[in-house]
Amino acid sequence: MKRNPVFWCVTLLFLVFCFGPAWAAEVSQGNCISVNDKDKTLTIEEYDLNFTKDKPYGHPTGKNSTYNIATALIGIPPTKGDVLRISYDVKGTERIALKIMNVSKQDLKKK
Amino acid sequence: MEHSFWYLHMPIAGVEIFWPGLVLIGFSVGTIGGFFGMGGAWMVTPGLNILGFPMAFAIGTDIAHIAGKSMISTMRHSKFGNVDYKLGFVMLFGTMFGIEIGAQMIMWLERLGKVGPIVRWVYVGFLAMISFMVFYDYYKADQAKKAGRISGDKGAEGITWYKALHKINIPPMVHFKTAGFTCSAWLPIGVSFITGILAGFLGIGGGLLRMPALVYLIGCPTHIAVGTDLFEVMISGLYGAFTYTLKGRIELVAVFVMLTGAAIGAQIGTVATKYAKGYGIRIAFGCAVVACMVSIILKQYGIDVMAAVVILGAISALCVYIVSIMFKGAAAELRDKKERERAAAAFQN
Amino acid sequence: MRALFRRILAFCSVISVLVPAAVWAAGEKAAMLVVVADTRRVTSDIGKYFADLYNTNMWLFAVWAVVLTAGYGVFLGFSMDIIMSRTGLDLKSRKIIEH
Repeated sequence: MKRNPVFWCVTLLFLVFCFGPAWAAEVSQGNCISVNDKDKTLTIEEYDLNFTKDKPYGHPTGKNSTYNIATALIGIPPTKGDVLRISYDVKGTERIALKIMNVSKQDLKKK
Repeated sequence: MEHSFWYLHMPIAGVEIFWPGLVLIGFSVGTIGGFFGMGGAWMVTPGLNILGFPMAFAIGTDIAHIAGKSMISTMRHSKFGNVDYKLGFVMLFGTMFGIEIGAQMIMWLERLGKVGPIVRWVYVGFLAMISFMVFYDYYKADQAKKAGRISGDKGAEGITWYKALHKINIPPMVHFKTAGFTCSAWLPIGVSFITGILAGFLGIGGGLLRMPALVYLIGCPTHIAVGTDLFEVMISGLYGAFTYTLKGRIELVAVFVMLTGAAIGAQIGTVATKYAKGYGIRIAFGCAVVACMVSIILKQYGIDVMAAVVILGAISALCVYIVSIMFKGAAAELRDKKERERAAAAFQN
Repeated sequence: MRALFRRILAFCSVISVLVPAAVWAAGEKAAMLVVVADTRRVTSDIGKYFADLYNTNMWLFAVWAVVLTAGYGVFLGFSMDIIMSRTGLDLKSRKIIEH
């Protein structure tokens, strides 16, 4: 039953390390400008990392970016004006969203 | 700069946490748990929540740190043969299923946006029960002492519910060799299922309920119950950590910080038991539980800073008390030892 | 102890009834909460690796979390044993009570 747990742990860790570096995704955060349900796309105006008291989610950069959300895991449905945090992969010129967090609506800090 | 030094950014929950508070909670749960022998995890979930973790993250982080802590104590107990592995494995089904249900309930409450208040109020009830138990226990011991009875009544021998429960004949009937009884497998599974739900819901080890259930409902000898309970705490911690991580409600940084504090604290706490005398410390323990309860209520009504001050103040006061017992006792022991050695050396010369 | 146990049992059954009741009363407005770790704010390499993993492969992250927590627990246990044995205190004559 407990033949050699250390051995199995080391093997597991080794395997994990082998596959590990392949996982990475970009993250962006910003104000939702539009959601297109037909094309399954979503556009945000990106925010920067300058968090202040009156702008807790960062300041607008003026740069818009569009994401393909067909396969994304979406929490509270985004609507115009929500602050979203999106993890995405870049394939060619397209940004494929993996997860979409509705930062302003779910506001974890209050839970 | 001043502000950011004291606050650690938690990348997943996205909150800034007052890290000395985190270290203090870890250390306290180790010290108090080591000293009193009961988990102490009851202060972690509320404590983390008060420090600023969202409730689901507080529970997930708490249950993961239990997994880490219980690894070593289970290994120690299994060395003494105190674990009935067969019973442990049968209970494993109930425990894991129960934890999953508890965790699902939390996720469901989170979706409804009710997780914070509901878990906080359940905790208030839970801590009220613990403090009542502690004070009542003290009161009874005090009465017994006044009445001149030696070592208060245990009252444990009279309960034989398990004899009736063993008669339930629903297959499969299983014989547990180490614990030394035969019963329907559904009995331990049922017990572990209920404790599992509680553990998954509150982010605790569940020993508080599982221990008496093992002894009185299942009919385990006490030393086997202790070992098997620890085994079950480990399993529930590991599975809880896994399922809460899978649900994305864990903060690894916090788990490691707390685990380090807890490991150091546990040593101090267990050593301190050697030197502790009297029942007075239990009153201090009860007071800490009440303080924890009060701080949860404060948090519920949005008085966050006060809540943090109350809970951190109470547990650090109790810790200082235990640490001082340990250092005084240890210093006395080492002094005695040195004197004995000196005397022996003088005798030989 | 007997009364105590009965109290614990009663308390647990009350919880198991009250919680779902409270939830039903709250009504259904369930939307899953998704959390994305903000990797833009993570500076350390290890931190970034885990935050990335959180965003992309939750299963691997869960395996890591369990293995690391368990491993670190064992490591701490053994190292504490070594440290405590060096203090010269007699630790054998005590009961092991800890969780």
